[in-house]
Amino acid sequence: MSRPGRDDAPDRLYTITGGRSSTGPDSPFDLVTLVVAESEPAAGMQSEHAAILRLAEFPTSVVEIAAELKLPVSITKVLLGDLQAAGRVSARHPYRPAITDPDILEQVLVGLRNL
Amino acid sequence: MTAPTHPGDRPSLRTLVPTFALTALVPALAVVAAVTAAPASVRTPLALGASAAALLLCAAVTWAVHAARAARGARRRLEAVSQDIGRLLQQQARTTEEARQEQQRLIGELAQQRSEFADSFEQERARIHQDSGQELDWYRQENDRLAAELDHASRERAAAIAAAGNASGRMQALATATLADLRAMEDRHTDEDVLADLLHLDHRTAQAGRLADSIAVLTGARSGRRWARPISMESILRGAMGRISGYRRVRVHSVSETAVAGHAAEGVMHALAELLDNAANFSPPTAEVHVYVEEVPAGVIVSVEDSGLVMGDVQLRRAERAVAGDSTELGGLSGTRLGLAVVGRLARKHGLKVSFRPSARGGTGVLMLVPQDLLTRPVADEPASAKETEPEPAAPSAALLDPAPVHESAEPDEDEEGPTGLPRRRRGRTLAEAERRSAPQPAEPRPAPGAADAQVRAARFDSFRQAVRPAAPDSAETFTETSADASGPAGAAAPYAPTPVPDPAPAPHPESEPESTSHPHAYPEGDPTS
Repeated sequence: MSRPGRDDAPDRLYTITGGRSSTGPDSPFDLVTLVVAESEPAAGMQSEHAAILRLAEFPTSVVEIAAELKLPVSITKVLLGDLQAAGRVSARHPYRPAITDPDILEQVLVGLRNL
Repeated sequence: MTAPTHPGDRPSLRTLVPTFALTALVPALAVVAAVTAAPASVRTPLALGASAAALLLCAAVTWAVHAARAARGARRRLEAVSQDIGRLLQQQARTTEEARQEQQRLIGELAQQRSEFADSFEQERARIHQDSGQELDWYRQENDRLAAELDHASRERAAAIAAAGNASGRMQALATATLADLRAMEDRHTDEDVLADLLHLDHRTAQAGRLADSIAVLTGARSGRRWARPISMESILRGAMGRISGYRRVRVHSVSETAVAGHAAEGVMHALAELLDNAANFSPPTAEVHVYVEEVPAGVIVSVEDSGLVMGDVQLRRAERAVAGDSTELGGLSGTRLGLAVVGRLARKHGLKVSFRPSARGGTGVLMLVPQDLLTRPVADEPASAKETEPEPAAPSAALLDPAPVHESAEPDEDEEGPTGLPRRRRGRTLAEAERRSAPQPAEPRPAPGAADAQVRAARFDSFRQAVRPAAPDSAETFTETSADASGPAGAAAPYAPTPVPDPAPAPHPESEPESTSHPHAYPEGDPTS
């Protein structure tokens, strides 16, 4: 567990999303959805929204945004859903690679680790 | 006193007549005889002379008789008067004697009474003295008893307050640790249902922590946590919201970019939380509570407006007295109305000014002035930290993020080269360029899988792995494991990716240390892999 006092932020996750912790089933966002900002951050905007818009100036995956914001993916998805509803970001799915066989991926992983 | 007048005392002339006649008879006879006997030549003178002598004699005898009678009367009167005098003297002597006896008697009585009175007075005085001595003893005992009780009570009060403060401090520590644990769990568990439950627990724990904070503030114990850096106003407001039950009804309108100095941040947050809680509790359950932040020369004014009940004059005065923080009395507190007293304490401690006014929304508006000396600018935290309000405005930051021309012309493959080439600023740049050139068309994906060699894919995969890496604090342990276990790089990756195939399920774990970004942190662990 992290040391108390070091993960310093007084705002809890539920205050960031207004108590929502999940998006609806029709949410277009998954871990690798690429997000592109459609507008500049505006004044008075929630700081996470502004940070997302700055991050997503270039297409960025949801999981990267979540990592940068240091927020759980679910929370990030809620924030992205808000931004998308406001028309400030758009989502597009990445190119799905042809290799979907887990065995091949596993072999690749082992190979990579042996590099 | 008049003596009775005896007849003869003053003999009347009538009583003298017989004497005079008797006396006149004898000389008359003698005269007659002498005249008769005398020669006729001398008879006439003799008769005259003898008659005159006889008359004189008669007068003298009569006068003598009368004088003798008068003397006898006077003597009798004198005797009567003498008797009267004797009698009066006797009477006087008797009266004097009686008076003297009476006086003696009265003096005796008086002396007796005086002694009686003196006795009873003495007794009374002794009794009163004794009584008052008892009374005094009783009062002294009572005084001692009450003093002891007071001493005992004050010691008990101090002990109780200290105990309450101590317990609240421990509860604060527990709540803080629990919140940190919950935050770590929220990062670790990706299931949305689990996350919802964790957030629910998080909320409850935050409220419990606020109660512990309130008790700590009221008991004068050390207040809550200390923040080592300035906390932005947005975080202050959110931190306050997160500690009340009705945070969903709070609407924040703030463009302020100030921050509250770390030492006062907790107090300001706590006071705001109490005010928000009051506003939310005393307004209809569906009404919103609006929070406005306004920067003024004296500091920052945070106004909390509800549309609930308007406070009456008495309530208003009581509330203003409570938030003035002038009295540190614990009396009059009820278990459910701690809020304003807590606000008063905090306002006194940090120099906050709290005032009430009718709200334009129909309820009560509370203004809290955070003075300028508590304010600062937020520290320029690591850009990756989303919890800090970015100090620079949006447009310049976008300009800063604008890529350099050198990178504009870079080939896509160069961007992906090497696992160390993963700085944030390179993310998706080529793709963005492609997007900008052909926006309507479907975006060109990242380098085609066919063209990508193993190096590129390793880099991409590594970045993905870094993103989904779980809890950061384990890194220290992982380092030791890695150094101890020389089996190879796979050992280092094992704690992070338990499954060989990286499943998208593991949640990306934000760094718990705000001063480090995920990427620089990743380098030491990325090295053994590369």
